[in-house]
Amino acid sequence: MSGGTVVVDSETVWPADSEDVEEAVVSNWFVREGTAVTEGDPIAEIQIEKVSIDVPAPTTGEITEILIDEQAEFQRGDVLAQVSSA
Amino acid sequence: MLSDTELQEMYGWMVTVRYYEERLQEEYLEGKQPAFDISAGPIPGELHLAAGQEAAAAGVCAHLHDDDTVTAPHRPHHVAIAKGVDLNRMTAEIFGRRTGLSKGKGGHMHLFDQDVNFAGSGIIAEGCPPAVGAALAAKMRGEDSVAVAYLGEGAISQGGFLESLNLASVQDLPVVFVIEDNDWAISMPKERVTDVEDGAQRADGFDIHGTRVDHDDAVAVYEAAGEAVGRARDGNGPTLLEVQVHRRMGHFMGDAEGYRPDADTERAKQRDSIERMKNTLQNAGIDESTIEDIRDRSHERVEEAIEWAKDQPEPDPDEAYEDVFTNPPAGWTPNPEPEVAETTGGDN
Amino acid sequence: MAEADETKEAETTAEREVTMSRAMVGAIASEIRENDDVFVMGEDVADYGGIFDSTEGLLEEFGREKIMDMPISETGFIGAAVGAAQAGMRPIAELMFADFFGVGMDQIYNQMAKNTYMSGSSVNVPMVLMTAVGGTYNDAAQHSQTLYGTFAHLPGMKVVIPSTAADAKGLMHTAIRDDDPVVFMFHKRLMGIGWMPAPDGPKTPVPEDDYTIGFGEADVKREGDDVTVVTLGLHVHRALEAADGLAGEVDAEVVDLRTLVPLDTETVLESVRKTSRLVVVDEDYHSFGLSGEIIAWATEGALDDLSAVSRVTMPDAPIPYARPLEQEVNPGTEDIADAIQDVSE
Repeated sequence: MSGGTVVVDSETVWPADSEDVEEAVVSNWFVREGTAVTEGDPIAEIQIEKVSIDVPAPTTGEITEILIDEQAEFQRGDVLAQVSSA
Repeated sequence: MLSDTELQEMYGWMVTVRYYEERLQEEYLEGKQPAFDISAGPIPGELHLAAGQEAAAAGVCAHLHDDDTVTAPHRPHHVAIAKGVDLNRMTAEIFGRRTGLSKGKGGHMHLFDQDVNFAGSGIIAEGCPPAVGAALAAKMRGEDSVAVAYLGEGAISQGGFLESLNLASVQDLPVVFVIEDNDWAISMPKERVTDVEDGAQRADGFDIHGTRVDHDDAVAVYEAAGEAVGRARDGNGPTLLEVQVHRRMGHFMGDAEGYRPDADTERAKQRDSIERMKNTLQNAGIDESTIEDIRDRSHERVEEAIEWAKDQPEPDPDEAYEDVFTNPPAGWTPNPEPEVAETTGGDN
Repeated sequence: MAEADETKEAETTAEREVTMSRAMVGAIASEIRENDDVFVMGEDVADYGGIFDSTEGLLEEFGREKIMDMPISETGFIGAAVGAAQAGMRPIAELMFADFFGVGMDQIYNQMAKNTYMSGSSVNVPMVLMTAVGGTYNDAAQHSQTLYGTFAHLPGMKVVIPSTAADAKGLMHTAIRDDDPVVFMFHKRLMGIGWMPAPDGPKTPVPEDDYTIGFGEADVKREGDDVTVVTLGLHVHRALEAADGLAGEVDAEVVDLRTLVPLDTETVLESVRKTSRLVVVDEDYHSFGLSGEIIAWATEGALDDLSAVSRVTMPDAPIPYARPLEQEVNPGTEDIADAIQDVSE
């Protein structure tokens, strides 16, 4: 029985050095919809100007929805994906 | 003693360089936001900017004439400007236009201007042997021109540099090696990869005069360079001159400099050689409006060059196949048409 | 010489995909954990993690004793890698750009590649020389080359070029465990670097455990009956794209060489005998190189089966900087599709 949906949001990973930057790009997804994930595993890499950051899975479960395509821009705080927790 | 004219000329070069690099940074980042895509925008590829290194260019080039040869490394714009390279055509080259210095084929690391004997190259220390060669040619022809090779402090462990020192020394050649010490070889700080604090010490091993200018000060560079260039012109051989500068921007555009402590970047910015030069002009009694005038004209010149460059046509794709040889053999092409070789064999 | 481990198919129960750079780095990390003799040396491999992400994260795990920044002195440190290898270590030396081989070539082709032979096998050189290759991002003549032909031509070094994450991991394990010198060429555009987005294709699922991919094993990335396209590196993906575009019209088989030395001529010949039509796509200079080599093998081994041959390569000219010029000289998907159609007429 699944435990509910957890969002993968961009705010929690935003580095202190990029305080004044509001946009970023998803440079790499490491999962697709349906991929099983373990909490803490990197599921995406985002690029804020010249800085690359790994986005970890917030919970163990399955990716239910990917909201931002690879190479697409998003705003700080946007939700990147949804995970249904196991 | 520097005359007012010389001071103003050097200051003019320095502010031109600083503004040029800042403007190029803007142009370069266009089309590369929000994420940095190196091949996007009006200036694609790598770009190594010299903001912070102006003193090394101005102080040395003030002693040079058009027929003195200068070779520069992958971070060349400041040297090119001080040497008198055609700024419009240099800018067009950086923007990859057909009317650029190299017809768009070289880009910013491969700038050549034969009118002022300037050549840039992209491999570390690569410019040293050719500078030695230019000095050799001058000596053989009995001319009093000299050659200057620029290199970074990261290059002083490269074999080609050491071979150049030896050759210049053994043959007493009119060449000056200018090491621009900005403390960083991309992410490697000098102390991690070099055994000496003073790169000029390399000269000792080769029986060459070596000297180091510790401050980011164009006048101090001018004085040291005057001795070095003078020594060469008088037929008294090579000099190794190390100049402390600082790197205000990253190694290349796109370098997030995560490896560089903030304090280091801040400290670097405080050593601004342009501020220092401005003070020198003021102390020499040059008035504020003249100084501002120089700055304004420099900015205008940079804007003109960029505007001109962006107006230039891109090269035709077919031009990629030209200029391999000065005398291409009859019938030869670098692009043999993809002929389909057909046989009567095969059963399909 | 040690036997290569059994190849493990790159099928996996996980659907997670990783970039080619992370797969390579994962293999290096695993080997360093297993074997104290393995270490990495090169320019900007420590704090920077490699200019093209080839050592990203390794400094954090292993420290400077294992991940060593080197002074800019290719002859010096590549030669040092040769000496360390001959003394029993297993260095992974990084040549930042393959184009820089010029400043260290003697140690590469006259020492690393020849000492085993010149010593009658009394010494061996178990090192990896990993290096970034390729263009498509406007880095001009001295920073965009692949030099496949140059490295494959000179005797004494094994040469591998992965085109996917799964291949990169397996080939890197094999390379590090190999008792001979291996030149491991990774294409910059395939690494999955944020500032140089990769095309679709190189990012793949990769098994968690260590596995090896044998050298001399080409991989048929797409089966087809009409035309054989032999290629490697970036152009595997361009060839696949061309083949997909022609589906229904021409059925192209795409053979990813993966290794140049040793060359898997069997797979190439088998394919050519089936289709009779050969297209070679090579991001290296046209003449006296890889493309000519493949065609020579095809002619020698399958002359009667061949009906048409074509090669799509870089021209015999330095690589230009400006965008329209670089795009002209580097074989694109269209160029490959045209060649496939040309041999099919």
